[in-house]
Amino acid sequence: MKTLYKILMKILGYFLLACALVVSIYPVLWMILGSLKDTNAFYNNIWGLPGVFHWGNYVYSWNKAAIGQKYINTVMITAGFLALLLPTVSAAAYAIARLNFKGKKKIYMFFLSGIMVPSGILAIPSFIVANQLHLTNTRIGMMLFYTAQATAFGIFLMRSFFISLPKSLEEAAMIDGCSRFGSFLRIILPLSVPGIMTQVVYSGLVVWNEYMIASLFVRSTELQTLALGLKVFIGQYSTDYPSLFAAMVLVTIPMLILYICAQKTFIAGMTAGAVKG
Amino acid sequence: MNKKYGTIRENAFPYLMLAPSFILFSCFVLVPFLIGIYVSFFNWNGLGAMRFINIKNYLFTFRDAVFWTALKNTFVYALVVTAAKNIIGLFLAMLVARKFVGRTLFRVSMFMPVTFSYVVIGVLWSWIYNPDFGLLNNFLSAIGGQSLIHGWLSDSSIALFSVTAVDIWKWSGFHMILYLAGVQGIPKDFYEAASIDGANKIQQFFKITVPQLNAVIVINILLSLTGAFTSNYDIVNVMTGGGPYHSTEVALTYIVTQGFKLNAFGKACAMSMILFVLVLLFGILQVKKMSHDENYEN
Repeated sequence: MKTLYKILMKILGYFLLACALVVSIYPVLWMILGSLKDTNAFYNNIWGLPGVFHWGNYVYSWNKAAIGQKYINTVMITAGFLALLLPTVSAAAYAIARLNFKGKKKIYMFFLSGIMVPSGILAIPSFIVANQLHLTNTRIGMMLFYTAQATAFGIFLMRSFFISLPKSLEEAAMIDGCSRFGSFLRIILPLSVPGIMTQVVYSGLVVWNEYMIASLFVRSTELQTLALGLKVFIGQYSTDYPSLFAAMVLVTIPMLILYICAQKTFIAGMTAGAVKG
Repeated sequence: MNKKYGTIRENAFPYLMLAPSFILFSCFVLVPFLIGIYVSFFNWNGLGAMRFINIKNYLFTFRDAVFWTALKNTFVYALVVTAAKNIIGLFLAMLVARKFVGRTLFRVSMFMPVTFSYVVIGVLWSWIYNPDFGLLNNFLSAIGGQSLIHGWLSDSSIALFSVTAVDIWKWSGFHMILYLAGVQGIPKDFYEAASIDGANKIQQFFKITVPQLNAVIVINILLSLTGAFTSNYDIVNVMTGGGPYHSTEVALTYIVTQGFKLNAFGKACAMSMILFVLVLLFGILQVKKMSHDENYEN
């Protein structure tokens, strides 16, 4: 009796896991299948495989939604953002983690307070400031605001990483004649690659997918990011569903492949902030 | 260890390292925040002259019934999402804590939605919810659940919950992974000792698992709460635009409507500041949590 109960519980467990798996994967599969159907099959053959694979949907959407341009914008903004964020927060976090100076605790708390202000609350005030500075509808404007909003968490993350490194390494380097800054550049940063990768994944993904600020800042079609462009495309082509699904696949798949290839880095990066806290 | 004879260069070095972040953060977070407070006391359409109207924007806001609805929805959204993500996340973590074939596949698949933008999953789920061609209603009619068929996004009594389900779908795998690390950290002998003492699985869950996971639970709840106050804009904007009849309107979508559709930037800023004060408690808790173990050892 006891063993039968155990077996039943085990089967129930597997059944629930299988359900969770279907719920998480099937919508994505459905998106891919839908993107390959023609309009008729899309409506009448909801569950099944497409009879004929309409690869042409991708070509059509790629051109119609100018997805290439949107990739360029998103890559440029994300890369520019990381190029600003990584050196600035690494330097600041290093100072807070390792150096002695007056007002250190106050400065750290000043940065941490940024975490208390959700980005949504800053959206309208940020737009007002950006507009006065003529930074709306520019890539650099988005990079600057994204960087500033990621600074608080970035310093927190890098600081906790630097603290975990042994001090003796820098001390040895400095005895050998390396300056403070030199030992930061040559000893600490190379050892911090895992921490930097965490930062790249965590903040990079946020900016790659960012929608709210982009939708307020960007006016011209040529500057649209993937997330924003997809939303606009949906508004304009709200009846041509296979093309719309094709656009969604085109926007999603490269990141999905990157995730599958580097899933360990992704999962570690995304959960690091929580585990550190 | 205060060095008395540091050179100017040595003394300036920490501040030089801090300066770029300090300037960026001040210019593009602190200044906008302060300007937001300032503008909230003015009547301003975003372009023309600003007219000081004291606290009238705040009074208008408090008298605005839609804003109250939006605030209520914001908190309902946050609470539903937080409860569901944590219950599902913990439940799944308990299920996958044991080794089984395909566990990595399961973890990777469950975590996958985290990498998607809200725009993509918002559109995808709008289609799953579509009353006629959507997966959900077709699935329900296939299993004989006709009575459960709804206009998931058009029925104002359930639209908000339909929208939260998407957020829950996106993040449950993330919370599962966080809980999994916690669950795997609980020593096995605790459970062995408890089962020798005759405790059943449910008792073990509440007497061992939950207390042992205390810190992990706090982090998960804080993360999902603070996340929910920001992410709701994207999902609602993409899926319903706040409708039908403001039933899915959240504070952020209403703030943007005030600013960009009605050009009431003063009022939009006042609303932003009210929302800030209301969510401040969670922010303070999070910062406390993040700095609690801080050892300023050097």
